[in-house]
Amino acid sequence: MNKLLALCAATLLAGCGATTTIDEYRPNNQIMDINSEQSVVILGRRDAGHYDTDREFIDCVASKMKGADIGVFPEQQFVDAIYPWFEPRTAPKGLKRLRRLMEDAAIKEQIERNGIRYLVWLDGSTETHDKGGSISCAIGPGGGGCFGFAQWDKSSVYEAIVWDLTNLTEKGRLRVDSSGTSYLLGVVAPIPLLTPVKNDACASLGTQLKQFFTVDQSE
Amino acid sequence: MPKIKITTFSLLSLLLALIFISGCSTSAQVQINSPFPTVVSKPKLVKAAIVFSEEFKTYIASPNSKTTIDLGNAQTELLSNAFAGLFNEIEFVSAAADVTFDNALVITPSVQEVQVSTPSDTYLNVYEVWIKYSLDIQTANGDQVDSWFMPAYGKTPDSFMLSKTNAIEEAAVIALRDAGAKLLLDFYRIPSVYNWLITEQIPLDETEVQ
Repeated sequence: MNKLLALCAATLLAGCGATTTIDEYRPNNQIMDINSEQSVVILGRRDAGHYDTDREFIDCVASKMKGADIGVFPEQQFVDAIYPWFEPRTAPKGLKRLRRLMEDAAIKEQIERNGIRYLVWLDGSTETHDKGGSISCAIGPGGGGCFGFAQWDKSSVYEAIVWDLTNLTEKGRLRVDSSGTSYLLGVVAPIPLLTPVKNDACASLGTQLKQFFTVDQSE
Repeated sequence: MPKIKITTFSLLSLLLALIFISGCSTSAQVQINSPFPTVVSKPKLVKAAIVFSEEFKTYIASPNSKTTIDLGNAQTELLSNAFAGLFNEIEFVSAAADVTFDNALVITPSVQEVQVSTPSDTYLNVYEVWIKYSLDIQTANGDQVDSWFMPAYGKTPDSFMLSKTNAIEEAAVIALRDAGAKLLLDFYRIPSVYNWLITEQIPLDETEVQ
């Protein structure tokens, strides 16, 4: 009986795994040149009308990258240090605009003073769709409970673009696609079986970015 | 008359219901306490006097009957900082009559309107704030240069776990930062201001960010 229960639990939990795909593009195989006094800043795109790249995801990717002795400059500190040139209205969308910005001596000096070598733009969101089932809960003098079943799909799509602020060139792009289904079972107590789609996307992207800055691809 | 039996359970349920209902309060009195960063900008060789009237410095917006936003201090601090990034000589006065500069621009900002939208209004998962400024631009001689409409917009990334007051404050701070960004980006692109610079033979910086 115990084995059967364990098998059922394992089957249910296996269904909660996210499917994650990472695509990486580099224009060449040069090593990413970064020394201990330089750092990387990860910024979220916030100029789209219908979504914002959330700060929680940016912080998560930044924390995954910190393990490789790469200095990660805090996003808000960078945006404040260079105000107002990286606000949603003014942030450069392409290299042409970045080059124009870096022609301004005050902006260039501020970036150099803070030791920012690379800028990683993160753009994307996590969305919930295909909700199904229903669950209802009730409470009364004799007690309470939930009954039913609900499920929903989540997908996370994020793209990272790496800019070199010294050479003013694009160093590469990474894209992560993660999706999975979560369940909520109502058997007196509600039992959530959640798929960590966003966490999976963050861990995969953070790990890949870390390799991007540390692995010598020419070998 | 029927007898009503009040039990401990009923009292507990009533208390819980009251706590829930009080959490649904729809009024918000917002005070902006967030500091604003210094602008990174090379000012032009232009003199300007900025007129911050008492009304502007103490402005409290009432976008609807249940919401007030105390913008006065925050907008004065933000715009003082932004104007300092535009002009190399600047004075702040409370009335146009107090201006001491000659051959300068006299700019009087005012708030035309403040709008707020909440998830219950739009069914979107965000709080939004619009602040519509107007800049009255004159020369020190009193000649009208322009009256420039300057809208600013801010929204929260989402509304999850945010109280209405905190969410409107966050959106208002983003809107104020947007106002500073728009001012620095677009002020010298106003055709009449540009023409005034040409007329006054004030040099335009070649490396200005466009």
